[in-house]
Amino acid sequence: MIKIDKPAWDIMVAHAESKFPSECCGAMLGKTVDAEKRVTQAIPLENSYAGEQGARYELRPEDLLEADRRARAASLDLIGIFHSHPDCDAYFSKTDLENSCPWYSFVVLSVKGGKFDHAASFLPNADQTDAPKEELIWPKS
Amino acid sequence: MAKVLIPTPLRQYAGKHDSVELNGSTVGEVLSALTTEFPDLRKQIFNDEGRLRSFVNVYVNDEDIRYLQKDATPTAPGDTVSIVPSIAGGAVQTAPPETAPKTAEPPLTLSNDEILRYSRHLIMPEVGMDGQLKLKAAKVLMVGAGGLGAPVGLYLAAAGIGRIGVVDFDVVDFTNLQRQVIHGTKDVGRKKLDSAAESMSDINPNVRIDRYEVALTSDNALDIIREYDMVVDGTDNFPTRYLVNDACVILKKPNVYGSIFRFEGQASIFAYPGGPFSSTRGPCYRCLYPEPPPPGLVPSCAEGGVLGILPGLIGLVQATEAVKLILGSGEPLIGRLMLYDALAMRFRELKLRRNLECPACGDHPTITKLIDYQEFCGIPRPVIELEPLPVSPTAKEGEISVVELKQKIDRGDKFMLLDVREPHEWQIAKIPGATLIPLGDLPKRVNELDSSVEIVAQCRSGVRSGKACDFLRQAGFKKVKNLTGGILAWSDQVDPSVPKY
Repeated sequence: MIKIDKPAWDIMVAHAESKFPSECCGAMLGKTVDAEKRVTQAIPLENSYAGEQGARYELRPEDLLEADRRARAASLDLIGIFHSHPDCDAYFSKTDLENSCPWYSFVVLSVKGGKFDHAASFLPNADQTDAPKEELIWPKS
Repeated sequence: MAKVLIPTPLRQYAGKHDSVELNGSTVGEVLSALTTEFPDLRKQIFNDEGRLRSFVNVYVNDEDIRYLQKDATPTAPGDTVSIVPSIAGGAVQTAPPETAPKTAEPPLTLSNDEILRYSRHLIMPEVGMDGQLKLKAAKVLMVGAGGLGAPVGLYLAAAGIGRIGVVDFDVVDFTNLQRQVIHGTKDVGRKKLDSAAESMSDINPNVRIDRYEVALTSDNALDIIREYDMVVDGTDNFPTRYLVNDACVILKKPNVYGSIFRFEGQASIFAYPGGPFSSTRGPCYRCLYPEPPPPGLVPSCAEGGVLGILPGLIGLVQATEAVKLILGSGEPLIGRLMLYDALAMRFRELKLRRNLECPACGDHPTITKLIDYQEFCGIPRPVIELEPLPVSPTAKEGEISVVELKQKIDRGDKFMLLDVREPHEWQIAKIPGATLIPLGDLPKRVNELDSSVEIVAQCRSGVRSGKACDFLRQAGFKKVKNLTGGILAWSDQVDPSVPKY
């Protein structure tokens, strides 16, 4: 299960809506206690995909390295990656799967007409063949 | 000794440590020490073949080891080694466009004849049926059916590429046969396009061959290249090379590059748009050579010569890289420039990185449409001749035709015929009565010349002797003439027994 605190969630939604109709991406920091991941901070990162960004995103490894440094400095852990699907449901696409890694939770935010609609979280496997959903809890109001 | 930072999700396999100090003088040794101490980490980081998993990047401090010396990157005490995943994705349901199967086409299959033909591919798991179908679905454009295009065309046809486009507007001549093995002696005088297509179809009639009998220009390049998955560049001039590069960057198509000169060759893959081999774009030709050399500085094969076998080898490297790009396997020459020296028989490699300031493929490109490449390369636009050249050219100031030279010799005029070619050319052919002083030796041997006697300078085609005339005039010689068309014109118009080369 992954639970996202309101301050982090607000940053994620604002980032996703501001980048619409492009996809956005970012990192989620927090702590894992027992089986529960709790996100307390979100860091918007630049979508570095070179082509049309309406349906693609790419994270620079350097940016992820920096996010990990910030997590360590704040005694937090890098526990997930988020990105948006503009005018599209929050599912884990084939492209998402083929370019994922099994170490993190992948939260997808569906943004429709520029407004956040719904979200889901996925846990890709090491072979990049499947990504089962994990329970995602975000502040509804 | 280096410090390895363990990403949060992997700490469960690393004794819950967030970092570990390990011995090793290279990244490879440090990672090996890491997985020896924590065996459970191995399958998280490495695949079954012991290579880093596709999504794993390793950094030493702030540098990606892919751009350093990979596993062999040295580590010093105090260095930090980080394991960073590469992550991308998106809502699109298909693979990137460069590898995406085209829509609304029936699924490809191989006929029994094709299965037999490609059996040595099919029995290798690295190619197999999937790979052979990828080759059949692939569309490759060859620019040039000359020295590099010859092996590229023959082997790509043999390999079973489904569709090959060929751009060429030249005609086969005898001087091509020493290296352009796609054409035969019987083809001299034919269009290279027809001769090449015939050889390729003979090897493999299953291949669709599209012929473009045009010079690739800024007006047609995008429309032609757009139809294909990638370009194999076999051009021999700078304007077309920059044109192909820029068009490939704009259209996001890989450019499989090769070039040759005398005994040396180069090959690389430019403008890789991102895909199975790398999530990021590769460098382009302009990242390596931002500006063309001044016109005339780098001689063409016609001027400088080329070992006939050389384009065979470089063209085959290009064909190999094209096939690897299609199959999605191996380590292609993306971000690597391969250098080959045939005389020393040595291969070297230079690492290339995309120049973030590159005007074509940088982060803020200024070349967003094709430009005038003749002008960019400093080459004056050819003046279109409205009237045909006279058969017996009237001598311009300071020039003399071969017919006039013959008359001069027959009359017994007193003059000096000065041949400024190289001694090895002198051995091939000469005009009777000439004196040999190579152009490069002229300054130090100028005292051998008599300024009171008329001098007619001569070389193979008239270019070098023109330079000799300029030099002599500057040195104070008044009676100097250049033989128009050189020994080639002499052979054509005066004495066919003198061989052309």
